[in-house]
Amino acid sequence: MPDFSLTEEQSSLREMARKFARTEMAPKAAECDRTPRFPEEVYRKAWELGLMNLNVPAEYGGSGLSALDQCLIVEELAYGCAGMTTSIIANCLALEPILLGGTEEQKRRFLPPFCAEYHLASFCLTEPAGGSDAGAISTRAKRHGDGYRLTGEKCFITNAPHASLYTVFATVDPELRHKGISAFVVPRSAPGVTPGKDEEKMGHRASSTSTVRFEEVEVPPSDRLGAEGDGFPIAMRTLDQTRTPIGALATGIAQAALDHAAAYSLKRHTFGKPISEHQAIQVKLADMATRVQASRLLTWSAAARIDRGEPGTLDSSIAKTFASDAAFAVADDAIQIHGGYGYMKEYPVEKLLRDAKLTQIYEGSNEIQRIVIARELLKRYA
Amino acid sequence: MRIVVFVKPVPEAETRLRPSADGARLDTDGVKWVLSGYDESAIEQALLLKEANAGSEVRAVTYGPSPRSEEVLRACLALGCTSAGWVEAPADLPPDVRLKVRALRQAAVRWPADLYLLGQQSLDTESGLLPLALAMALGVPGANGALDLAFDAARNELSFERSSEAGVEEWRLPSPSVIGLKQAKNDPRSAKLQNILKSRKMPIDRIPAVELPAAPEVTGNANRFRFELPPPRTGARLIEYAAPDEAAEKLVRVLREEAKVFP
Amino acid sequence: MSGPTLLLAETGPRGLQAASLETIGVARALAGEGPVVAVIFAGPSDTATAALAAAGADKVLCLRHPFLEEGRGAACAFVVAEIARELGVELLLVGGTPFGREVAGALATAWDALAATQVTEVRRTANGYSLKRPVFGGRASESLELAGPRVVLALRPNSFGGAPPTPRACAIEEHPVPTIPPALLPGTRVRVRPAESSAGPDLGTAPIVVAGGRGFKSPENFHLLEELAASLGAAAGASRAVTDAGWRPGSYQVGQTGRSVSPQLYIAVGISGAIQHLVGMMSSRVIVAINSDPNAPIFRVADYGIVGDLFAILPPLTKAIRTARGLPT
Repeated sequence: MPDFSLTEEQSSLREMARKFARTEMAPKAAECDRTPRFPEEVYRKAWELGLMNLNVPAEYGGSGLSALDQCLIVEELAYGCAGMTTSIIANCLALEPILLGGTEEQKRRFLPPFCAEYHLASFCLTEPAGGSDAGAISTRAKRHGDGYRLTGEKCFITNAPHASLYTVFATVDPELRHKGISAFVVPRSAPGVTPGKDEEKMGHRASSTSTVRFEEVEVPPSDRLGAEGDGFPIAMRTLDQTRTPIGALATGIAQAALDHAAAYSLKRHTFGKPISEHQAIQVKLADMATRVQASRLLTWSAAARIDRGEPGTLDSSIAKTFASDAAFAVADDAIQIHGGYGYMKEYPVEKLLRDAKLTQIYEGSNEIQRIVIARELLKRYA
Repeated sequence: MRIVVFVKPVPEAETRLRPSADGARLDTDGVKWVLSGYDESAIEQALLLKEANAGSEVRAVTYGPSPRSEEVLRACLALGCTSAGWVEAPADLPPDVRLKVRALRQAAVRWPADLYLLGQQSLDTESGLLPLALAMALGVPGANGALDLAFDAARNELSFERSSEAGVEEWRLPSPSVIGLKQAKNDPRSAKLQNILKSRKMPIDRIPAVELPAAPEVTGNANRFRFELPPPRTGARLIEYAAPDEAAEKLVRVLREEAKVFP
Repeated sequence: MSGPTLLLAETGPRGLQAASLETIGVARALAGEGPVVAVIFAGPSDTATAALAAAGADKVLCLRHPFLEEGRGAACAFVVAEIARELGVELLLVGGTPFGREVAGALATAWDALAATQVTEVRRTANGYSLKRPVFGGRASESLELAGPRVVLALRPNSFGGAPPTPRACAIEEHPVPTIPPALLPGTRVRVRPAESSAGPDLGTAPIVVAGGRGFKSPENFHLLEELAASLGAAAGASRAVTDAGWRPGSYQVGQTGRSVSPQLYIAVGISGAIQHLVGMMSSRVIVAINSDPNAPIFRVADYGIVGDLFAILPPLTKAIRTARGLPT
């Protein structure tokens, strides 16, 4: 990695994801965005090809890819359609708590079905009253006999209406804040589980997002991940793992915006020459390319650190924050280069801006990321 | 059933074609080499036959230089071929099908098969000569342009359809045969991620260039002396009209007077 | 040059193939005053033989054998190679049909010849022949020099216009069929289902092709395309979307997985122009596109375009063509 070159294996994985993105995703991206539509046929195909459960180790039937390999794939997929990518990688997010906090028995029970058949899972952390403040969870896990009864509502849950399994974070006692939170695995089929209606979103419209209500949902103790009270660290460690791929996803959006803008600038003529010959455009393109490249390298470097087994919190937060802010700025520039056409839905760049916006918000807003970055940073000076 | 599929690396479809500095060939600098569409169909067909006939083996074979040869063979292994063979050959063989036949006959002798399968033509030079030229050289039946191949193990026969000027013909050929495939029943499959990773560790059997015998010599020399791009199409001249009748009359006029293709 | 220029004619359900007639013109031009001998797998009194004799050959050799008449490339090539050796032939031409391509490939081995297909231009040089052919689906072309004592060329249909050669005195002879080696004989053509094609000429070799796409909306509307084809004496084709949907038979399909065509005039109606369609028709000489979407990729490869509703445009277009050709409207 120090020489930033990819192995042949990595190149072929990237090539495969690129082909999938360009042949299966991109041609449907505009239609799924406009309608909006959840293209299940694309997700099934992604599953068939092994693009869905990238983080599940091979012993449970998954692809067992390193963090860096995951980033290479996610960037390519996002180039085709960021919304579809969010739905494709949602399983990684939802299953990571099982990988991190599950017993061997739980892993053997929950993970192989996702690799043997097409199933979706959702990660249920966020609640209507508290997004970034994960410690303020109000979904209750009341002790009942040996097990629990879950009651509460989660919101902004990716793939929730289509998922067959949820990893849910709930508290045995809100007074305990972080320390009261536990993680549970809840099948969609359990009585009392009700996903809500699809939300109308600004971007990522090929993905599906809804609330999930839990009403007196019985959960046996064998479906709790880790010890009681382990939920908060499991959630945070999960997000440490999945934050870097969000940087890669944002990089894919930015690369698409740059490619569209550069190609357009060569075709579009004003004042008797292609606009690519105007310095105002050249400066923009140069800044865009710089941001894309920096995003990619920050993402790779954070992923490589995680793959070496070193703490990745600081690096992954830096990568996610920079790449998502860069994606928004680059998509913005791409629209500006397209002028009035860029504002029209007939052209692909306005979608990129709407898609980029979410990467600054989800999986820990960039404001929270900056708090994390500052905290990790200041530890070194204290 | 033993199947050998001969494949050829071709520049990927999005390649921007450029003549080389001497103007005689394609500039292959930076070109990404992939399986052509017809070869993908041939691989798909071979895998369908393998799935329909238990215990079958599919060997992908190519000839040419490194690294493009290994790259396409790894792609074939990732798709499900059971083994791969590579006949080393220089990048720019003269455009003489007999030289390709000579290279591939080596492979056919080393790896005997019930079916030698090819795409009906390559997607770059599109000559379509190889299937029958190879069949004649191997002394086995051959056919090109086949659709949807099936194998009858009891009768040791291959059956397929193909379209000709006469209509759709149904053929049966005894095995072994050389068949150029136009299309399999399915669209070609994509490789699974896990299989791509596995294919990286599978061996590729190599026939070094030095093993190629000089004889039998072929008579005559073929030489490619120019590779050029057609003048760029500038896009359609749109016919302006107020009513459909006017559009119709204007089109007839330009076809007759300007394009001079009106019958 | 020692021997005659040899050409192998092809017959189909409609008699002598148009591609074979075009081949005679090229053979005549390359042979100069030398003899042009045509081989046909038909009887001396068949209409195809007569058409061949009338088209400018000096001699027609008729061979009859069921396997030859079935168009078995390997067997046909073996027989033609025997005749070529017997006559001391240096140049052999076939039409660029699927049959011609098979025969040319088999002849490369059976006759130890240099071979090329899809030839669009050819001239004689000091050492042999210099020729041009499209590659990469018409996105580029290559020029080859074939210098050797034996050369076989398959000519791309509709690529060699020019006046038909003047008919000359032509001898029609029956020629004995050489013994075909057993290795070339096995295999059975089980049956032939006649192509469900339009009444017009063969799609692969027709000088004018009109093709319809998804824009026709339903199979009932294709009479508009057939009527346009009839007005031009054209073959009718279709995009893959149309044949996949079963709106037209598979034999209509133009494109990478269907027929490749290179007519003088190609009219694409209601076809957006997916790349897989374009590679099957892009080397047509003149391309006309009729489509309601001004951004359809087909307009980028077309020479002339009409942006409009095909249901409004086709009826007056068919009428205008019939009027211009003096056909009843």
